[in-house]
Amino acid sequence: MSKAAVIEAGPLRRFWLKWRFHLNILLLLIPLGLMPKYLHEASMSRGEIGLGERELGELQAGQWSVKIAERFDEAPRSDGPAGYFKQFNIALCDTCTKVKAVYLRVGKPRSLRAAGALFSGNPYRMTGIVNIPLKTSPDADLWLTFEDWDGSLQQVSIPLAKASPATVAWLKQQGGKS
Amino acid sequence: MSKKSRSKLWFLVHSWLALPIWFFVLIVCVTGTLAVLSQEIVWLANPDVRASKPSDDAPLLSYQQVYDAMLKAEPGLAVNYISRPGEEHFALTASVTFPDGTTPILYVNPYTGAIQGKSPTFDFEAFTRALHGWWLVPFTNGYSWGWYLVSLLGLPMLASLVTGLVVYKRFWKGFLKPTLRLRQGARIFWGDFHRLSGIWSIWFIATISITGTWFLIQAILADNHVTISSEPIVPAISREDVPRGANGEVPSRLSLDDATRAAMQQFPGFEVTFVTLPGNAYAHYYMGGRGWYPLMFETVNVNPFNNKVEASFMVGDRSTLEFVTESMRPLHTGDFGGLWVKLIWAFFGLLLSMMVFSGLMIWTKRTAQATAAALKRESRVAGKTATTTPSPSEASL
Repeated sequence: MSKAAVIEAGPLRRFWLKWRFHLNILLLLIPLGLMPKYLHEASMSRGEIGLGERELGELQAGQWSVKIAERFDEAPRSDGPAGYFKQFNIALCDTCTKVKAVYLRVGKPRSLRAAGALFSGNPYRMTGIVNIPLKTSPDADLWLTFEDWDGSLQQVSIPLAKASPATVAWLKQQGGKS
Repeated sequence: MSKKSRSKLWFLVHSWLALPIWFFVLIVCVTGTLAVLSQEIVWLANPDVRASKPSDDAPLLSYQQVYDAMLKAEPGLAVNYISRPGEEHFALTASVTFPDGTTPILYVNPYTGAIQGKSPTFDFEAFTRALHGWWLVPFTNGYSWGWYLVSLLGLPMLASLVTGLVVYKRFWKGFLKPTLRLRQGARIFWGDFHRLSGIWSIWFIATISITGTWFLIQAILADNHVTISSEPIVPAISREDVPRGANGEVPSRLSLDDATRAAMQQFPGFEVTFVTLPGNAYAHYYMGGRGWYPLMFETVNVNPFNNKVEASFMVGDRSTLEFVTESMRPLHTGDFGGLWVKLIWAFFGLLLSMMVFSGLMIWTKRTAQATAAALKRESRVAGKTATTTPSPSEASL
């Protein structure tokens, strides 16, 4: 702080001198204001208020079914060079004991090798983090592939517009830019 | 610049480092101190997290025995991981999911396998850490800006230490002749207190500020997708290595104890303090514990169908740089050597909080008064054209 600056006490500087200690209050307001969001997130990850922010109901594929939810009601999150991702949570049906694996992909997979993101967790709560390519069409579908322990596959799809309106809005914006 | 005015400048810098956000700094120090002891505080408050021995010679159960006991008590339970806290007086913690989707931590007796209770909705440990670590600002895209806000404090703290030692002439003499004058007024007392606790905390302030600055660097690296990790990215178990049950039956996994034994056979001396169960048919048993270098965890991935160790990350696999960077977090939290290390960290954490407070007391009793006087003088000359009168403002020492 140079002495000259003190002498030329302009209105801005006076304001700063008078109010600088109120920065403490502003800083303390941050966690206070964010407390409800923090507690909400904590309850969500403890599974106390459902599978995700937007419950999408039940999806049926052959004899299997899952409850599915969009974890965050928001645009895809960036993972740097790896691209953009969306998280969905599922709960397997009570009779799903012979489901070996569940996969999630934007667009219909051509084979099991390309079935997409593998869900992980436990039967009551599994997480799948699916890549959303930037060039995805807003009317694309989200495909779930069920792999049975006997090797058979079942598939079911849901329009992306229904699964995540925020993602579709984001995709339309991306389209506008490029 | 003369020697005198240079030391005045150092003093000024030192005086203003934590200001004007002193209260924020104080709360970060206090919550950090609480976070160090949060596990112990919960232990005191909640009998469920204590590991009471049924008899003096009761042996510890193995992971599979614990798992079986839990499933016997709660047949619908899905277990995510079982973890053995570093200190004997704590119950095991197990993350589980109930059929209704709720996912609490269960406290399990390590001798009997009895489920003693479950974590309450408000998790004190997680809360103090979130408040201290990222000011409750959520992580959405990369690191939370709260993380940056808190970890940025490492820099002024380090600067406080350096400038403090510069302005405290011959500070090493304070070790030999500790001075704490109680009866000569608040200003003298807080000054003595600040200097005395300061010199005894040099190592701690250096540790906390350097590791805190590392947290800042860590966030910058991660948010720019720069990685220095040599930890292998473990691929899912290949399709051929997951057996097909006869007639599509679900093949059973080998026991947790067989898996830990397989890991210990390959890595003699490997100690397992947590086991994570596979999250799907293509996932491993993932287990680990502290290595011979207590600031690092060693981990092993075991195929649950054939007990093959398919990946590992041991102390010896780390690069020299990782030895430094991976040591930062435990050095900051003090959770690497049991209760005594935690108590030392908490004591110095409290002392550091007091340093922020005593620094403020000194400041209000001296610098603020000087500043107020200077401002008064300034307003008197405000009407006239600027003079060359030195207006020392905060420089009044």
